[in-house]
Amino acid sequence: MALFLDIFGYLSVVLRGLTLLAQSFTIGGLAFQLLLLRPLQAELSAEAIIVGKRGQRLLRLSAFGWFAIVLAALAVNMAALTGTLELSLGEAAGADFARSGFAVAACALGIAWLARTGHWGRARAIMLVALVGLALAMQLNLTHAASRLDVRWPLLAADFLHMLGAGIWIGGLPYFLLALNGCRSEDDQRRIGRRYSLMSMASVAAIVLGGTIMAMAYLGSFAAIYGTAYGVMTSAKVAMLLMLLALGAGNFLAVERLRRRDPAAPLLRMKRFVEVELGIGLTVLLTAGSLTSLPPGIDLSQDRLSWSEIVERATPQWPRLSSPSVDQLTISQLQAKIDAADAQRVTAPQAYVPGEGVILPRSAADIAWSEYNHHWAGIFVVLIGVLALIERFSWGRWARHWPLLFLVMAAFLFFRADEMAWPLGPIGFWASWRDPEVAQHRLFVVLIILFGLFEWRVRLRGQQAGRAALVFPLTVAAGGALLLTHSHAIANIKDQLLIEMSHTPLALCGITAGWARWLELRMDGRISRAAAWVWPVAFVLVGLILLDYREA
Amino acid sequence: MSCITRSLHLPVIAALLLACPGTASAHAIIVTSQPASGATIDKDAVAIRLRFNSRIDHARSRLKLRAPDGAEQALIPAADAPADEIDAEARALRPGAWHLQWQVLSVDGHITRGDIPFNVR
Repeated sequence: MALFLDIFGYLSVVLRGLTLLAQSFTIGGLAFQLLLLRPLQAELSAEAIIVGKRGQRLLRLSAFGWFAIVLAALAVNMAALTGTLELSLGEAAGADFARSGFAVAACALGIAWLARTGHWGRARAIMLVALVGLALAMQLNLTHAASRLDVRWPLLAADFLHMLGAGIWIGGLPYFLLALNGCRSEDDQRRIGRRYSLMSMASVAAIVLGGTIMAMAYLGSFAAIYGTAYGVMTSAKVAMLLMLLALGAGNFLAVERLRRRDPAAPLLRMKRFVEVELGIGLTVLLTAGSLTSLPPGIDLSQDRLSWSEIVERATPQWPRLSSPSVDQLTISQLQAKIDAADAQRVTAPQAYVPGEGVILPRSAADIAWSEYNHHWAGIFVVLIGVLALIERFSWGRWARHWPLLFLVMAAFLFFRADEMAWPLGPIGFWASWRDPEVAQHRLFVVLIILFGLFEWRVRLRGQQAGRAALVFPLTVAAGGALLLTHSHAIANIKDQLLIEMSHTPLALCGITAGWARWLELRMDGRISRAAAWVWPVAFVLVGLILLDYREA
Repeated sequence: MSCITRSLHLPVIAALLLACPGTASAHAIIVTSQPASGATIDKDAVAIRLRFNSRIDHARSRLKLRAPDGAEQALIPAADAPADEIDAEARALRPGAWHLQWQVLSVDGHITRGDIPFNVR
C-alpha cells in the first residue's frame, strides 16, 4: 500500500488525462458518424463506406478504452480511500464520485456495445447520443464545478460545453484523418473537409465560451494567471490552442480552395497539418488531466508569485559549471539567500495528495547540484541545435553526427539526476523506482537514448531512413507532453512554482521542435524548408532556457 | 518592450488565457482553519473548524489529533457542519506540541490530506 500511495498522485493525473482522451475520441467518433458521414452518405463515393467502417471500429475501441480507463481510475481512487481510512470497499463505492464513475463506465460500455455494428437505425443513433449525453453529465460530477459552493449551474454548463467542443474537434481529428487518407476522390475530400471545418468552428466557439466562463470563476484575476500553478498550466494550454488554431486556419484555407475547385488546393498539407493537430491535441488533453491535480487559482490567495519574482528568476546569469560534492551540505552565501527568502514566505495551510508527503527544506548544495545538471544539459542541447543548423549548410556535413551528443547527455543525466539513487547514492537501483520522480527521470533517459540512436542512424542513411526518421520527432514531442503531464504540489509553493515557470516553456519548445521536424519529414516545398529551420532553433531555445534555469 | 506596447499586449493575452482554463476538477484545500497553523492555545479544549474551498464528503473524511507524546486519537466530526467544513471538539489537551491531521474527500472525488501543528500552553 505504501508503494501504491507513493505513485497515487501521478497515477491519478495520468488516468485523468487518458480518460479525457478516450472520452474525446468517443464523442469525436460519434459526431463524425452522425454529423458528417451519415448526412453526406448519398453524396459520397463507395470509399466513404470503408472509411465509415474504420471509423466505427475506432469509435468502438475508444468507447471500450473509456470504460476500461474509468474503471481503472475508480479502482485506484477506491484503493486509496480504503487504504488511508478504515473504510470497507462498499463504503468507498458509495461515494458520489464512485457512483458517477460507475455510471460513466456503464455508458461507455453501452456505447461500445451499440457501436459494434455499422448498421445504425434511428433508434440506435438516438440511444448512442443519449448515452454520450448521460456520460458527460455524470462526468460533470467529477469536476470541480460539482463541488463548488457558489452558483454551480453556469460552471457545470460551461464544463459540459468545453468537453463537448474538445470531443467533437480534437476527438474528431483521427476520424478526419482516416477520411482524408481513405477517400481519394476530390469531391469526397471537399465535402468531408467542408463539413468537418464547420463542426470544428462550432466546437472552437463552444470551447472558448465554456473556457471563458470557467476562467472568470476559477482564475478570477490577472495575477492568478502568472502567480499560481493553475494559471501557468492554463497558459500552456492556451499556447497549444494557438498552435492548433494556426494549423486549423491553414486547413480552413485549404478547404476553401477545395470548395472553389482549385486544382492546386494543398491537400497533402492539410493531411500533414491534421497529423500535427492530432499530436498537439493529445498533448492538450493530457495537460488538462494534469490540471486536475490543482485547485483553482482563485482559491489560492497566499504565496502567489509576484511579477518581480518571476522577472528576478528569469534574468540571465552565468551558468553553474562546477558541482558541489555529494556530501557537501551548505554553500553559505546561497544558503543565507534561501533562508532570507523562506523567512519572508507567508505560510498557507499545506495540503497533500496521499503519498506526496512533506516537501523537504531546500539546501544550497541540493540547488547547486540541480542547477549544475540543468546547465550542462543546456550546453548539450544548445550544441545539438547549433550543429543541426550547421548541418543544413553545404560545408557543414561533418556536423551530422550531432545525435551522438544525446548519448553523452543521457549518460550524464543517468549519473547526476538522482543523486540519492544508485550509482552515486545509497538507494539501490530497483528500490529507487518507487520514487515517481526517479522513475520519470529514468524514462527520460531511455527516451533520450532512443531518439539519439534512431536519429544518428537516420543522419547516416539520409533519404533511405524511411519511417525510422519519424521516431525522433515523435519522441521529442512526447518528451514535451510528459513535461506537461505531471502532478503538482497542491498548495502554492513558490519554489516549485518558479521551477514550473521554466519547465512549461521547455515543454512548449519541445512540442514545437518535435512537430516542426515531423512537418519537415512529411512534407516538401516551402513549409518543409521552413520547418527544417524551426526545429533546430527550438532546440537552441530549449538549451538557453536550461542554461538560465535556477532554483534560487 | 515599451510600456505602451505591453499595455496593448496584456489585454490580448488575458483574453486568450480566459478562453482556455480547461476542465477543472481539483483537490480540496483549506481556506481557513481553527486552530490556525502554528497557533498557541491557552485552554485545554478547542473547537476545531476547518473550512475548505469545496464541498466535502463528511462520511469519508477524517480528523485525528497527535499528542506531544506521539499518541493518536480520532476525533468525531460534527454531523451538522456546513457542506464545506469539518468541525469537531478536542478536549483534555495537555501542554505541548500537537498536530491536527486531516484527510478529506471532496465530492468530485479527490483525496487531500494535511497537518496543522499547534501548541497548547
